[in-house]
Amino acid sequence: MMEKLYLIARIADTRVALRSRAINSVVTVGVPVEVPAAPPHVAGLFALRSRVFTLIDPHVVIGLSAVPVAPGQRVIVVDVAEHGYALLADEIEDVCFIDAPETRVAGKLLPGWARVADAMIEHRGASLLVVDPSNFITLPALKAA
Amino acid sequence: MVEPQFLGRTGTAMDDLLNDFLAETAEILAEAGGAIVAWEADPTDRAQLDAIFRFVHTIKGSSGFLALPRVTALSHAAEDALDQVRRGNRPANAALVTGVLGILDRLGELCTTLGQKGVEPVGDDRGVIAALAVDDVADEPVIEVSGVPMRREDDLQAELQNWRSIRVPLPLLDSVMTGVTDIVLARNEFARMLRESGADLSVIASFDRLSDSIAGMRQSVSQMRMQRIDKLFAPLPRIVRDLAQDMRKKIAFQTSGGEVELDREMMENIRDPLIHIVRNAIDHGIESLEDRVAAGKDITATISVSARQSGNQIEIEVRDDGRGLSPDALVAKAIASRVATAADVRALTPKEKLELIFRPGFSTAAKVTAVSGRGVGMDIVKANVEKIGGIVELRNDEGRGLSILLRVPMTLTIISGLMVRAAGQYFAIPRGAVREILLESGDTVRIDQLGGGELATVRGEQFPLLRLENILGRERDADDDSDDRALVIVRPGQGQSYALSVAAIHDHEELVIKPAAPMIMSTGLYAGTTLPDNGRPVLLLDVQGLLAIAAIDASEAGRSHNRMAEADAAAAAARNAVQLLLFRDMNSRVRGVRLSVIERVEEVPATALFESAGRVQAQIGEDIFPVHAAALPGGEGTLKLLRLYDGHAVLCYPIAEVIDIVRLPDAVQPSAAPGLIAGVVLVGGDPVELIDPFWLMEQYAAGAPAPALRQPLCRVTDDRDGWGGNFLAPILRNAGYRVVLGDDASDEVPDVLLCCTEEGEILGAVSGEVPVIRLRTSIAATGPEDETVYRYDRQALLDALRRQVGGDRA
Repeated sequence: MMEKLYLIARIADTRVALRSRAINSVVTVGVPVEVPAAPPHVAGLFALRSRVFTLIDPHVVIGLSAVPVAPGQRVIVVDVAEHGYALLADEIEDVCFIDAPETRVAGKLLPGWARVADAMIEHRGASLLVVDPSNFITLPALKAA
Repeated sequence: MVEPQFLGRTGTAMDDLLNDFLAETAEILAEAGGAIVAWEADPTDRAQLDAIFRFVHTIKGSSGFLALPRVTALSHAAEDALDQVRRGNRPANAALVTGVLGILDRLGELCTTLGQKGVEPVGDDRGVIAALAVDDVADEPVIEVSGVPMRREDDLQAELQNWRSIRVPLPLLDSVMTGVTDIVLARNEFARMLRESGADLSVIASFDRLSDSIAGMRQSVSQMRMQRIDKLFAPLPRIVRDLAQDMRKKIAFQTSGGEVELDREMMENIRDPLIHIVRNAIDHGIESLEDRVAAGKDITATISVSARQSGNQIEIEVRDDGRGLSPDALVAKAIASRVATAADVRALTPKEKLELIFRPGFSTAAKVTAVSGRGVGMDIVKANVEKIGGIVELRNDEGRGLSILLRVPMTLTIISGLMVRAAGQYFAIPRGAVREILLESGDTVRIDQLGGGELATVRGEQFPLLRLENILGRERDADDDSDDRALVIVRPGQGQSYALSVAAIHDHEELVIKPAAPMIMSTGLYAGTTLPDNGRPVLLLDVQGLLAIAAIDASEAGRSHNRMAEADAAAAAARNAVQLLLFRDMNSRVRGVRLSVIERVEEVPATALFESAGRVQAQIGEDIFPVHAAALPGGEGTLKLLRLYDGHAVLCYPIAEVIDIVRLPDAVQPSAAPGLIAGVVLVGGDPVELIDPFWLMEQYAAGAPAPALRQPLCRVTDDRDGWGGNFLAPILRNAGYRVVLGDDASDEVPDVLLCCTEEGEILGAVSGEVPVIRLRTSIAATGPEDETVYRYDRQALLDALRRQVGGDRA
């Protein structure tokens, strides 16, 4: 059943369904600690229950300009390759089971989204992009950045 | 740590006991080998002897439980022999040391088999045990399992302190480690919340008690996984001793920094690479005794292994003073072994050429020796070190030595960190890399702007200056007072230092370092993250990485003039000291000769020596040299010849072997009469006859034409009947001239022309510049003006030649 569990959120101005497998929790952050000279999608570091997490700004991953982190902003905490990351979310809507099958992405997406989106899914009369949270972190294109 | 090859079966309680025994024994054997070699060097070292005694005693004790009769008998025999030494009934000598090492080797073999099969193999150890009894006048019954003599009380005490340990599975240890780390971090967070909530004093007091015990616990836990690097070094002396003996090399082995602590698992991963590098150094790096003499080096080579903590890394350096790596030889080798193509290597920088040794399939040995032929190359070493996040660095000094540096990270560790501020945010610097902290505005600091760069001079010592904000690409924080800026003198590694300018120094704290996310680590600026008491994550700066990013040469070499001059003076003084080459001559006498008169040591086949005109001569390459020997040394094989050179002539002196190079003692007891022996000196308490090179050269200088650097060229012309070629030329050659006969073409202008006819046009005369000597056939001269020379007057002919050529030919 876990495969069917999605986190619906608005990330980088787009509503997406995030596969919940890697998602740890949703929390609010204060002011993150900056990481000078880090790649642009690294929005900073913050601590949560004695762990240090790296904050990722999905806007930059998609190809938009970075947005400042507002105190109290909600972030999606994920574990990728034994490191803790948090994705800045514009809005967290819901966690829900979606029975509909994932379908191939139809139509043309912005290049940034085309890189991260795995599929589409129907949810309450709307099509959502299905994204694996790790796609926001391990983008080959960004490694060079 | 556990030697994996010993461990095979698990399951029953007995197997567990056996596995524990094997692991413990492996550990003991490794350490005992080193201790014995140290003891051999200094047999009076009672502490080493006691330690070795305890090692074998422990093995004997444990094997008794497990019913391993062979192990028990072997360890008992070794223990017995060592006890005799302890009681003063037996001297410690090489035979004993070799005997004990033999026992240890046999024990190692038994344990390997035990680990694989689970039972002690059947076999006969009498030979090994009997080897111990050599020199044993007391004639002890060597195999005696029962009736173990009682030990003194203090032996047992020492054993308890040294060997009471239990074995714990690694995962359990890991979970304790991470658990404690989390407790520490949770405590820090809790402390912050307590402060913010304004809790009352009794709560804070009890929290402080908790906090103290957590700190103590963290200390103990960090020691659980960490181990002194001594353990890693323990088997090395034995390896060096054995290999050096096999290869007939003299090697002084040193270790330092053994107190540095390293994660046990990390240690396992660098054990094999380290051993391999040391073997390589002995096998390929260190030259043979003769080559070292020829290179003017101390005959005893030095290999040193040192460990040091450098910031967030552990550096292990293996340094030898051998021949180093030759980039050109490496390239040739790489092409020959098809590791690279000629086109590939052309584009390589010198550094990249050196790194060819890391290519799979590459081996620097000209031929596969017993040592290197084990299928492990530097590529495996590199892979193993990189597997644990380390790097391998080469520092090559061709002809003078090579040092190989292993850098391995210390992650998940607790380090003492200095907190600094820059661009309005905190960063941590490993305390271990900080040499000094100064105020930038202080009196002892001077900062100069030099062509866009900055230089800090602290009490006369200069450091390149880095500003942390610049490296991080940030602006200075407007709130920071520029008067408060501090300079941190950072020493990221051996021989490197720089000044790091930061906005302010905060304090220092014990920090739990965790690796940062890969994209942050890949900036090269940070070594990890940590969460101090205030709950705000802090980045740990990679002090080595900062240098790389700033692209600054921080090496201290050549920076300070005074120190350089001192070092040069010391080196010069060492060079000026008269050195004595000790050798064993053909009659096994130890003699010495000043090293400076030795041109080199030749090794020639015995057939290169021949006897002619009552003298022994040696043919070396194209040249023939006189040899100081009354008769031809018979025999097959090769001979070693010392080549003495006085600036003009060479004399060979046959020797059996080179022993050492020592400083010539000041006190020389001169011989009564001049002769081969100039006098006698005492070297290390033994008399050594000193060869008199002056006398030696004198004996051979007279009469024997010594080959000069450039032999004058004689052209023989008008040689109609072949007399010049057949009769004259050999005499000329013998007198040290090169001869060209009339017909031979030669581009070189001759120094003198010898004309075999008394009159007429001289054939082949090039110009009037070349002096001419005419030879006549009649004994009597035609008149006073006759400048021709009678062709059978050897002395007159040679005199005439000498006058014309000008050189003083003997």
